[in-house]
Amino acid sequence: MSESAIVLPLIIILTGALIAALCGLPWLNRRLNVTQLSWLLALAPLSSFCILVSFLDDLQANLVFSWKGAWLPSIGLNMGLYFDSLSALFGLLITLIGILVIIYAGQYFKGDRSAWRFLTYMLLFMGAMLGLVMAGDVLTLFISWEATSIISFLLVAYKYKDETARRGAFKALFITGGGGIALLIGLLFVSQVCGSTSFTTILASGDILRDSTLYPVILGLVALGGFTKSAQFPAHIWLPDAMSAPTPASAYLHSATMVKAGIYLMARLNPVLGQTEIWFWLLTLVGMATMLTGAYLGLKQNDLKALLAYSTISQLGILMMMIGQDIEIAFKALIIGILAHALYKSALFMVAGIVDHETGTRDLRRLGGLRRSMPYTFGVGAIAALSMAGLPPLFGFLAKETLLATAFHPSLPNVVAWIFTLASIVTGALMFTLAVMLLWDTFMGEPRDPAVRGHEAPKTMVLAPAIPAVFSLILGQLPGPKDEAALLANAARAAHGFKVKISLALWTGLNAPLFLSALAISLGVVLFIYREQVWQLQARLAPRRTLNSFYDGLLAAIDTSASWATRLQRGKLRTYVVIILAATVMLFIGFRGLSLKLDLSAMKWPSLSFSGEMAILRIFALFLIVGASLASIVVGSDFTSILALGASGFGIAGLMVLEPAPDLALVQIVVDILAMVILVLALARLPRLQRLKAQDVTFRQRPASLVRDALIAVVSGAAVMLITLVALLSRSRESFVTPFYQANAKTVLGSKSIVGAIIVDYRGLDTLIEIGVFSMAGLGIYTLLRYAACKFGDTGSQLDELPPPSPYPFSTLGIGGLKTSSFIRVLAYVALPVAMIIGVTDIMYGHDQPGDGFTAGVIISLAVGFWYVVFGYDETRSRLSWLKASPLMATGILLAILTGITAAFVQGGFFSNVDFGHMLGLPLPKGFHLSTSFLFELAICLSVLGSVTHMLNTLGHPGEKDTESTRCLKEIEELEKQERM
Amino acid sequence: MELLTAIAIGVLFAIGVFQLLRRNIIRSAIGLIILANAVNLFLLSTGAYVSIEPAYVSDTTDILSDALPQALILTAIVISMGGTAFVLSMLYIISARYKTSDMDEVDGLKN
Repeated sequence: MSESAIVLPLIIILTGALIAALCGLPWLNRRLNVTQLSWLLALAPLSSFCILVSFLDDLQANLVFSWKGAWLPSIGLNMGLYFDSLSALFGLLITLIGILVIIYAGQYFKGDRSAWRFLTYMLLFMGAMLGLVMAGDVLTLFISWEATSIISFLLVAYKYKDETARRGAFKALFITGGGGIALLIGLLFVSQVCGSTSFTTILASGDILRDSTLYPVILGLVALGGFTKSAQFPAHIWLPDAMSAPTPASAYLHSATMVKAGIYLMARLNPVLGQTEIWFWLLTLVGMATMLTGAYLGLKQNDLKALLAYSTISQLGILMMMIGQDIEIAFKALIIGILAHALYKSALFMVAGIVDHETGTRDLRRLGGLRRSMPYTFGVGAIAALSMAGLPPLFGFLAKETLLATAFHPSLPNVVAWIFTLASIVTGALMFTLAVMLLWDTFMGEPRDPAVRGHEAPKTMVLAPAIPAVFSLILGQLPGPKDEAALLANAARAAHGFKVKISLALWTGLNAPLFLSALAISLGVVLFIYREQVWQLQARLAPRRTLNSFYDGLLAAIDTSASWATRLQRGKLRTYVVIILAATVMLFIGFRGLSLKLDLSAMKWPSLSFSGEMAILRIFALFLIVGASLASIVVGSDFTSILALGASGFGIAGLMVLEPAPDLALVQIVVDILAMVILVLALARLPRLQRLKAQDVTFRQRPASLVRDALIAVVSGAAVMLITLVALLSRSRESFVTPFYQANAKTVLGSKSIVGAIIVDYRGLDTLIEIGVFSMAGLGIYTLLRYAACKFGDTGSQLDELPPPSPYPFSTLGIGGLKTSSFIRVLAYVALPVAMIIGVTDIMYGHDQPGDGFTAGVIISLAVGFWYVVFGYDETRSRLSWLKASPLMATGILLAILTGITAAFVQGGFFSNVDFGHMLGLPLPKGFHLSTSFLFELAICLSVLGSVTHMLNTLGHPGEKDTESTRCLKEIEELEKQERM
Repeated sequence: MELLTAIAIGVLFAIGVFQLLRRNIIRSAIGLIILANAVNLFLLSTGAYVSIEPAYVSDTTDILSDALPQALILTAIVISMGGTAFVLSMLYIISARYKTSDMDEVDGLKN
């Protein structure tokens, strides 16, 4: 078998999951019922089982198979598989019990058309679980680990209409998921210490790990993951609640496989993390506590499944305790325990499911006497229960013997040995009682509730638990099960790190473990006979506050703190802005600000000469910018404030001229004006009264909050200043790209303007996206104002409400219906065609001169905006009816994309430069090139014009409901009404 | 010059933030534009060279001004213009919804 074949089982099982999911399709669902589907799907684990078995011969030689697949190799992430005897043991159990459970589920859900969902989850789980035990990389391990948690959630909440099922599912996810996070951190630490995420390396670096200063942290985190997953005290509380899953899932996930994931993890890492004092104490104490708690609490359960769940917890505690020991026999006990428990417990769960299925109850107080009506089920249940009780000649006996042998091992410290032995005997006795109680109260005696009547289940349904039950019977009887013993020995060796001898002989002579075992069984018999008294005693001893009430309290506390946290959200927009800014400033101070190192020596003081940098002009521009912006705060009227803002924008344009960056300066000027026009239009659209009131309250607030605002502003300004200073002083004083552009722009692209070349060629895709964004903004404004605002009952300027005489002179500006002078009107008429000529020239010669598509678009839009200001909405719309916003935008973007694609076909690169005029030999004016750059600039111009037209049309609209949007709104309302009905 | 530029940008930013925090909705919009201006100014000043030749291919052997930040600003100006217009219309919707342009009276964001 080649190494990569170990991927096959995973692929097969996930394919099975896909097939199961496909059965959700109606036409397949009608043709294939659940039972047929389950037979089909059982082939997946069956074939995987066979593949795994075929590896066993090679594993005899203690070979390890590993496989590595690149996932994100650039950041060192790999998927990896690692397959040795320990993985094989788990893998065989997962697939074997998987076959049985799938077939069993087919019977359990007989006639249920929606059970494909269950089977899908089960197969997905099987895949995740196989991935977990075969993981060769910590990340693969973690992903599978979390996948099992999540699928377990889905399975527990399978009957999602049931509140208890949902609660149980959440609890399981909350606890195991939390442990999963701890595990992730722990594993990341492990891989950091070992320098690799691969288990091949990690398993060879035990000494590095144990000597690392991080060892206690790693141990704690990993153990937290393992303990929560394997339901160790005090995280065991999720397992009983997870019993609301359908019984096939409980049999599979919550007894045989998933809860063993923690055991697997700890066993896998024992050779590298174990053999230390802290490991011993942690695992022994937690394991012992779990073992006793589970067995003790199991005793008072009336529900068959709950009883089984608690006995599972107890068994998991035993296993965890075994991993903590550093002696050979403990690992024999561990491996045999895993095998024995998986076999008898899955059988018992399936038997419990049959009982529930056939009688309709799992309540031990109502059941009884079923041995007559369900003889086969009784037989199977008896074998499995006796194995659980630890009676010879069953396999469970061997498991208990080795456990007791470990407890009695002379190498343990004296006190520990006593407690250990005592605890083992008590647990053994309790487990015996549980097993007998289960068997007796279900099948023996007389029915306690005459209404409960059973009849035998279908043969296949009984067959599923019968197979593991029979295995527990014959494993101890086979004359020379050498191969099995060798597999187990190798698995134990992988967990222990040293050689472990395993024989499966039941009879080892008259020795101390046998004596202790007899003691435990007699104690168990006594407990069983006096169980009524024991229950009374337990009821009296029950603590008032249980771990579950602690868990509920924790959840309530989380809810409370969440509502406290959201109390910050007062619903006031301004508060949010304050919080966001304050937090940003704090982050800055906390992380970077204090460690800023200013290299003041690199700073040049401004030279007050007119040569070189033209410093004096720059300083003047800076003063203009800052002064005008300051003025925009202080002035009382909003309109003046907007004008001041415009002046500040001109200052920036001046600075750009000094840079010198003529293209930028041009764009800055036109955009600045356009922004002012749009602001004024928006201002004019607000209801007059509202506007004046808002203007009045600009500074009307408590002095304290004014100071607070000023403080936030000053601190954030200072932070930005520091950042800027550092950035400017440490910036590279040499450009690497500009010389490149200088050398190539003209020869390759036929463009003298480097900025223009960057926009339409080097960063063409960027520009394409940009005009997309700009168009979206236009469309967004259109949609918002036309529909949403109307929905809120916006009637624009309320005409019937007469405004009070205004002290501000510029309050309407002609757009509000005020008459404009005829000079201005003529100017507007002339402006539009002139703007268009300028725009077209811009586009035609923009590659050699300042100016480009943006500028062209904005200049034409400005003329249109001028019309809005001068003529008002109605006249402008009627005169410029040919100016259709959406078609313009769409044409622009389509043209841009087409240009790019054409260039790709002609030249072989999206947006690469093609000069069509030159290619076709067209007689064109000098200096003008009919090239892709030209077409792209044209496209930019069209889309910008379209988008701005949208903005102007909507913001320039006086605000009354226009007929079109009223009609649309009515249609929307009717649609909503229909949906509601 | 760097110090002066940095101070100017810092002051501009502070003004922008202060305007953003006003109760008057139009002033908030103005604050946004000032913030955008500050950022553009910052980008502009990060150019590698301070020179007297614009970034045009010509026969001159002088060092050209740094074209890359300029191209970035060109994009930034247009985008911030679109963004501002969009924010304006959102502010307008808010004031239509709450029948006020006073931010302190807008408190219905909760629930």
